[in-house]
Order: sequence, then C-alpha cells, then structure tokens
Amino acid sequence: MSVLLVSSATGLHRLPASDGQSVRDLLDTTALRVRAACGGSGTCGACSVRLIAGEVSPPTVAEYLKLTPEERAAGQRLACQLRIQGDVHIELEHPAPPSAWKSIVPENLAEITACRPELSAHRYGLAVDLGTTHIRLALWDRRAGKRIATRRGANPQGSFGADVLNRLEAARAHPEHAAELAASAREAIMHAVRDILARDIGEVTPMLAEIGEVLIVGNTAMLALLTGQGGDALLDPAYWQKKVDFQPADRSAWQQPWHLPNARIVLPGPVAGFVGSDLVADLVATGLVDGPPGSLLLDVGTNTEIALWDGACLHVTSVPGGPAFEGVGIRHGMPAEPGAIYRVSRSDAGYACATLAGETARGFCGSGLTDAIAVLLADGRLKPSGRFVVSPGPEGYALDPANPATAITGIDVDAFQRAKAAIAAAMEVLLRQAGMGWGELRRLCICGAFGHTLDVGRAQSLGLLPPIAAQDVELHADASLAGGERALLSPNGAQRFAALTDTIKAINLSLIADYDEAYINHLRLRPIAVAPSP
Amino acid sequence: MLERIVKAYNEAVFETDKEAAFEVVEAALAGGLTAEDIVFKVVIPAVEEMMSNITKDPDANLAQHFMTAQIAAEVTEKMLLSFKQPPEIIGKVVMGTAHGDLHSLGKRIVMGCLKALMVDVVDLGVNVPAERFVDVAQAENAQVIAISAMMVHTATGENGASKVRRILHERGLEDRIKLVVGGAPYRFDDGLYQTVGADAWAADGVNAGRIIVDLIRGIKKS
Repeated sequence: MSVLLVSSATGLHRLPASDGQSVRDLLDTTALRVRAACGGSGTCGACSVRLIAGEVSPPTVAEYLKLTPEERAAGQRLACQLRIQGDVHIELEHPAPPSAWKSIVPENLAEITACRPELSAHRYGLAVDLGTTHIRLALWDRRAGKRIATRRGANPQGSFGADVLNRLEAARAHPEHAAELAASAREAIMHAVRDILARDIGEVTPMLAEIGEVLIVGNTAMLALLTGQGGDALLDPAYWQKKVDFQPADRSAWQQPWHLPNARIVLPGPVAGFVGSDLVADLVATGLVDGPPGSLLLDVGTNTEIALWDGACLHVTSVPGGPAFEGVGIRHGMPAEPGAIYRVSRSDAGYACATLAGETARGFCGSGLTDAIAVLLADGRLKPSGRFVVSPGPEGYALDPANPATAITGIDVDAFQRAKAAIAAAMEVLLRQAGMGWGELRRLCICGAFGHTLDVGRAQSLGLLPPIAAQDVELHADASLAGGERALLSPNGAQRFAALTDTIKAINLSLIADYDEAYINHLRLRPIAVAPSP
Repeated sequence: MLERIVKAYNEAVFETDKEAAFEVVEAALAGGLTAEDIVFKVVIPAVEEMMSNITKDPDANLAQHFMTAQIAAEVTEKMLLSFKQPPEIIGKVVMGTAHGDLHSLGKRIVMGCLKALMVDVVDLGVNVPAERFVDVAQAENAQVIAISAMMVHTATGENGASKVRRILHERGLEDRIKLVVGGAPYRFDDGLYQTVGADAWAADGVNAGRIIVDLIRGIKKS
C-alpha cells in the first residue's frame, strides 16, 4: 500500500493508494476529483495536476500531445495517465467543482464477465441500487461487456427523514411530498448518469439516446417512493406478507425528463411488502442457492435483509436493525467515509483507531463501532449487560482521550445491542423456520459496505454474527448493485429475478410469536451459543 | 438467608444475567423457600425497585429494561406452576397493539412486568381492531385496556385509541374500564395521550406496569 499526498486549496490530503492505480481513478473515489471530459484515455487533457515528488509511471504519448514542453518541465501531468508506483505527492490546482457523486472504490465492485453481443443499437445500460441512504449505480457498454463507470452518492430523500417510515409517512400525509420524493430520487439518478457521461465519455446528449435499459433495484419503500405510489399499502400490515409491485405509471413520463428516449425502464418486482428487489439482487450476486444447505445471507443496511437457503427453500426476512451500523443514533456515528474509525486495536498507550483514508478520526462507521464495543467488552470496561463498569458519563469513553470523536457512550452501546439483537433474532427465526440450528450453518455471505471492513471474529464475540469458521465467511461489498448489473448483462436477467422471487418464503417477524423473546435473549453482549440455552 | 437471596437475585437482574437469576432461584428453592416466597419476597420487590430506579439511573438503557422485564416474567411464570393455590390476582388488563401496528415489543415488556405484579393479562396480539379491545374487556371483566402504538399514524389514527374511547363512551363503560396508551409517539408529545382520549400513558414499559396497577386499584376502590 502506498500513499498519495494531495495539496489543494482545502489543505493537504493523505490517501491510501494501490500501486498501478491511476491518480484520476483514485481521486474519483473521493471528494477531490480532477476535471475530466473523457474516460481516462488522455484525449481531453482536462485532468492536469502537478507532480511534486514520488515514484510514478513515465509520461505517455497522450501527455506529450496534450501538454506543452513548458508544462511538462514544470511537472504537469495528466492524472488519468499518471500511475502510482510508490508514495507520491501532487498538487491539485484546478479540482472539479464539488459533486455529490464519487466513483465506487474498485475493491467493492464485483468482477463480472458477461456481455450482450446480440445488441446492435442502444448498447448502453444502467444498473441502479436505490438504497435508503445511498444510491449506487453503474453504466455499462452491454455489447462489449465493459463497465464504463460507477457512482455513489447520497439519496436526496434523506431530507425527509433518515428512515423509511418517516419518508412513507411524509408521502402519505401530503401528495406534494410524495411527488417531491419521487422526483428527487429520479433527478439524483439522472445527475449521476450525466456526471458519468460528462467525465467518463465526454459527450452527454447523444449518449443518452444510446442508453437502452435502466434497471433499478431497491427496498420496497424506495421503489414505492420512486414510483410515487403505494406508500399507503406499505404502512398497512395487510400487505406486509403479500406480493407487491411498483411500476412507473407512465414510463414516458420518466424517459422524457431523463432524456432517455430509448431506455427500457425495468423495476424487478420486490419479494413482499417488506423485502425488496435489492435482496433478490444480493441472491443473484452471491449465488446463495448454488451453495450448500445452511447458507445464510446478511445485507446490513438501514434496513437489514436476511436470507437462508436450506437446500430446498429460501427463507427471507428483514429487520430495522441497521441504522446504528450506518451511524444513525450513535453519538459519534458516521457512514463509512474518510475519517471514520473502521478498526480499533490495542496499543501501548491504550487504543489505536484506524480511520478510512487515514484522516483524523471524526467518528465511527459500523465496523468501527463493532470493534470498539468488542474491545471494551474484552478489556472488562463494558459488561455483557451493556453497562460500563465505571460510568463514563454522558460524554462517553474516549478511546483516544485527546479526541472526543473517539468516544463511545452508554446510549451508543444500547443502540448497538438493540440493532445486533434484532439481526441475531431474525437469523434465529429463519433457522427455526427451516428446522435448522446455528451449528448447521455452512456459509455466510455478508453483503453491503458494512462487511467490507468488519472484523468477523470481533463481531462474533458480541453475538452480531453467528459462530461459523472464518473460511466460510464471504464479503460481498456492493452485492445489490452487482446483482442488478448481472441482470442488465443477461438477456433473461429479469426472468432469473422473477424465478428466484417465486421460490422465496418471506417471513414477517411481527407475526412470529417468539421473535420478541429471541430478540430479548440476544441483547446481551456475548457470542451466540451454538446450542441455545433452554 | 432471604436477604442474601434478594441481594444475589437483584445483582443478577441488574447484570441482566438470566442464567444467574435462575441459578439463584433454584438454589433458594433447594434451600427451602417456596415458589410463593420467591415471587412475593424476591421477584416483586425487585420489579418495584427497578421501577423506581429506572427513572433515576442515568446509565440504565433500553436493552436493560427489556432484559430485566423478561427475567421477571420468566421467573414468575415458572414459579406460578408450583404455586399451591392460584395466586391472588390484582386485576385484569386487555392488551394489544393498535390497528395497523405490528410492533409488539413494547407490549411484551409491559406484559412481563404485569405478570410479575400479579396482574392477569389478556394478550390480543398485534393489529387489533378497536371493537375487539372493548368486546374482550367487557367479556373478561377487565379494568384496563392498554394499547401500544409505535408509529404516528397508528397512535393518532381513527381506528386506534380514539375509536376505543368512543366505543367505551357509547357503551357507558368509561367508569369501569380505563384506557392507557404507550409507544414512541407519546414520548415525543406528552399531551398526545389526551388528544387520543386515553386516561394515562407511560414513558417506558416498566413504568407502564406501575401506572396500570394504580388504575386497577382506583377502579376497585370506587
């Protein structure tokens, strides 16, 4: 791992980098983007930066063509041509205007080898994972089987409330809010597409006409809000276990403002009122049903979705156990962004907090919160009940006494306990439905960004993850997007979704009598017992 | 010996350690205490102490409330099986979640505490129509109807508590059956319980037990 130092008007930034990576690709995953108007081929010349020092690749032909000898002598390079070969320091004088959109880091993207050679026209396609908190999308050249670019940004509906219920309430109470919620998500998707076309292809309007399909997966609430319909049905328990579907009332009303005259708009149907098509996408991406009986899938997001494959049937449910892992309701909680503590270890001086992008700690993301609580428990500072042995007061226990943002409060621990208990109890109910026990789990697929930086052993020590050997745990960072991408690249992708959806047995935990008891039994901070105590 | 048992039991409850609590109970039974002693001299005082502590203790958290109520309910349920004669019941409550609401956890905590306090609970489950609350309360001679609602639209909706109040009024039952509500929306607006026509509300499941017991005693006195 090397380091890229970037001097810019906003200060000195330190980014972890992989050797061989281009400076542009790395910066595109951050808020410090270079200007760009081509896909990184060196043809637009917009991404010039000044190399101050470091080990880098030699100038390319494109750089000789685009930069004058004076510029080159002054250290100017094209960020898309400049590859990192060790620690590097650059100056970014003319960054791109701030944008809500960043590229998804390459490690989180699935490797997909599929293409649609039969497509003669409108060869581009867009896969969208419409999450409660984030929107992730990927633009593909379907014919060539080439991923052109990806983007990740906040779901603007967040202004109506972080959680799904608040947004559904808002849409139900005021029709104008429903329209606004629908429009804001659709506009956000189009902003991201335009950002890709402008930066990664260099042509916007003509390219929009070449997009032949937009495939969107999401949880049911997101699909209902996106299509501006059905929010009422989701609030009515009568629909929770029934099959629901949300389709645009008028597809041309989407195509027109999007300027996508040739795009088929595909919204694969969700499983039931409370389990969305994002879970089906996870199933496609992980191939859960191709694994052994006892394969469990966990997608920890704002709403956590869980699936269990017992060899014959897919048992599926969802729990609202996730917001704590995205920083909601945690004093110093934050999403997995630069400055988020993602790992905690012991050091001579006490505790060391590893942060994303190596920045000064600003708070905890889900894995950091899990790690912090596990370490505090193991060191006897926290009790299994969730109480601190010595009350740290409302400000909490600071892992780094010099930085208040590293503090864990009693309320944080409580929120964590309730979130992990909801998830563990949901897994237990699914196992019971399948007539299986914890000991029969053979494979665990953790989907979502949460799992990517998670220390599985620590999560197990708190009872957040089931007891299963480390080699049987798989991390699939952006699985919902990957499932959508696979559907986009397969001529019968939609049918595969529908076929999987039909094999699913959706379980609403509110209707399971012993869920509450299981939940309460999982509140203690301790590993899940393989043979549950009577 | 009782003092030592009470201390050990309270400690186990405070640590939310169900296994340890049951170990204390088993040891006490082996040492000669009766199931009645356990409930009346150990469990109920512990629940009452928990009720008074919960509002005072800045470090008590929700997870702890849930676990302590669960331990009280489980121990009581187990001891009741060994009672020589059926215990004297303070009164009866009909309980459920509001129409349209499937959040059963708050209700469960209240039920746990009520059971430990010797209140008979008729659990109507989740998503309960207003008429059913009143019909069952009438048929069972219950003193209290308790409705849990965790969402704004189920707390204030026309098929929830306010409809139960209307039916109680229409049937002339308002002196005999009291209406209590609980759930997150009532915490955000502490006048909301009156808006929906309830007689009382409680901020947490443990204190709901105390408020319901008070209402039952009030009705029995009059």
